[in-house]
Amino acid sequence: MAVAVAPRATRPGAPGLPEVRAGPRYWIHGYWRVFVWDLVDIRLHLPILSAVLILQGAGFVLGIGLFFRHIPQAAAIYVSTGVPVLSLLTVGLIFGPQIVATQRTEGSYEFVQSMPVPRAMMTMAWYTVSLIPALPAMTIALLVGMARYHFHLDVTSAVVPAVLATSLTGTLMGYALSHGITNPMTTRLASLSLVFVLFGFSPVMFPAAQLPHWLAEANRWLPFESMATIVRGALVKGMVTGVGRAYLVVGAWAVASALVAARAVGHRS
Amino acid sequence: MAGAGTNRDGWTFRTEGVTKVYPNGVRANDEISLHVEPGEVYGLLGPNGAGKTTLVKQVIGLLRPTSGRITFGPHDLVADPAAARQLCSYLPQAQLPIDSFRAREAIVLCGRIRGGDPAVVERRADELIEALDLGEWRDRRGIALSGGVKRLVGFAMVTVCPGRAVILDEPTNDVDPLRRRFLWRQVRELGNLGVAVFLVTHNVAEAEKAVDRLAVIADGRLLAEGTPSSMKAEDRGHLRLQLMLAPGADTPELPPLVKGSTRIGHNLVTVIDEVDATHAIGWAEELLGAGVAEEYALGATSLEDAYIRLTGHGSQDDEGVR
Repeated sequence: MAVAVAPRATRPGAPGLPEVRAGPRYWIHGYWRVFVWDLVDIRLHLPILSAVLILQGAGFVLGIGLFFRHIPQAAAIYVSTGVPVLSLLTVGLIFGPQIVATQRTEGSYEFVQSMPVPRAMMTMAWYTVSLIPALPAMTIALLVGMARYHFHLDVTSAVVPAVLATSLTGTLMGYALSHGITNPMTTRLASLSLVFVLFGFSPVMFPAAQLPHWLAEANRWLPFESMATIVRGALVKGMVTGVGRAYLVVGAWAVASALVAARAVGHRS
Repeated sequence: MAGAGTNRDGWTFRTEGVTKVYPNGVRANDEISLHVEPGEVYGLLGPNGAGKTTLVKQVIGLLRPTSGRITFGPHDLVADPAAARQLCSYLPQAQLPIDSFRAREAIVLCGRIRGGDPAVVERRADELIEALDLGEWRDRRGIALSGGVKRLVGFAMVTVCPGRAVILDEPTNDVDPLRRRFLWRQVRELGNLGVAVFLVTHNVAEAEKAVDRLAVIADGRLLAEGTPSSMKAEDRGHLRLQLMLAPGADTPELPPLVKGSTRIGHNLVTVIDEVDATHAIGWAEELLGAGVAEEYALGATSLEDAYIRLTGHGSQDDEGVR
């Protein structure tokens, strides 16, 4: 259908009434406008959110070193290159569902969902916003690790798809969670539970071999270990194997989450 | 106003036999058929739980009807909820999420999201701020606004670049009386622009002044539809005698001249024939003398009387007819 805003107005300067729009311009316009909306929406929280992510990342990198009198270099690199995954996931997977749960509690969820923007563009706009505090936090965590443990990274161009895929999958999982679960309290509890799963039971900052066999096997099919594999594989040479398989696992989770989110958002029972 | 049948450009809004049964078996809407023409201000009245919000959510594509059709001009809104979101602007009953936004900024951003031309949106945002007397708060963040001001900002957000239909769910909640008048003036302006305005409310007194036509909904069913005058037609020849009962007083025994009554808190609202006015005043004076009532007022029947007759509810209260 044509992209148009009907120019019919009853007096000079009055707004025209809309026709139904479609096509690339409509999608790009919707993406950009919702990106601006989301950015303004979280701007009061953005400084503190950025600070929390930086402290979280740097804190993990420095804090884990305190467990050892002399931390092995390999362990230091493992921890330092795992922390970026936490930074990339925190906003989309943890903070996003909390925001949606709050919208449901306050009754503004319907208003947000009634915005005349393609739903996929709303998701992509939030994904972009979620990268804003995550990327500096990730970078600072790596720099702190290099300064503290005196190692060098071999960053390749694969870091771009690795970071984007990890963050996108986390955002889509958060979307699926927040729109698939209609009870706000359950959403909050589920996203908080993921914090414990991510930090405590996923081989992101430690090798899977240190987990019980069954948990290590489960993590082969869960997304977090694979996210760490693709990010680590783009940052250091020779530390990880199975990067291709990891991309497949992460991709599968992204697709599955997108399908669940699309069904949940479009579900009109 | 564009009266029924005027139908500017073919943009008639219609629901035909819309029925919504939730998975738990609750029948929230039952065969609701209505139409709204461009430029009309259409009231959707009913007590809490009547099914008004369910109907609205189906219109804007957030719920799918169990059966029935919703069309807007050439568009089938059930089959194309994305079109519904573009054609309809929605102000929900809850406050909008604008804590981080400055008032004018929120209005402009909403207009831009709705696809408005930047210059027109900026100008219209300023016009609305002035028309709603919001200048004092134009650069304040939402978190610092009172409930009433936030409500008005929300109204401006959904009307700065309006859809062909604007759905307002209790738009005057928390708004002071003076600014309510400003808001109603803007609602009428929307009608002049050719917008079909849906006013969802249980405040009958306000609706009576604001709407061109209205529907009364209760228990999911459309009980009546028409202009405020036609709704009141059945009450012609009647008067309303309203008694403010003394605190703790029981409802007094009603004389035969009382044709109907409702008690809402301390208010006892009765309907009498015009010819019985003198006797009714005498009865009211007796109640005052006996200390049962503290004051009374006799006046013409209003839309509220028709609403009470149809739904068994007062507009501001859910206490039933006695």
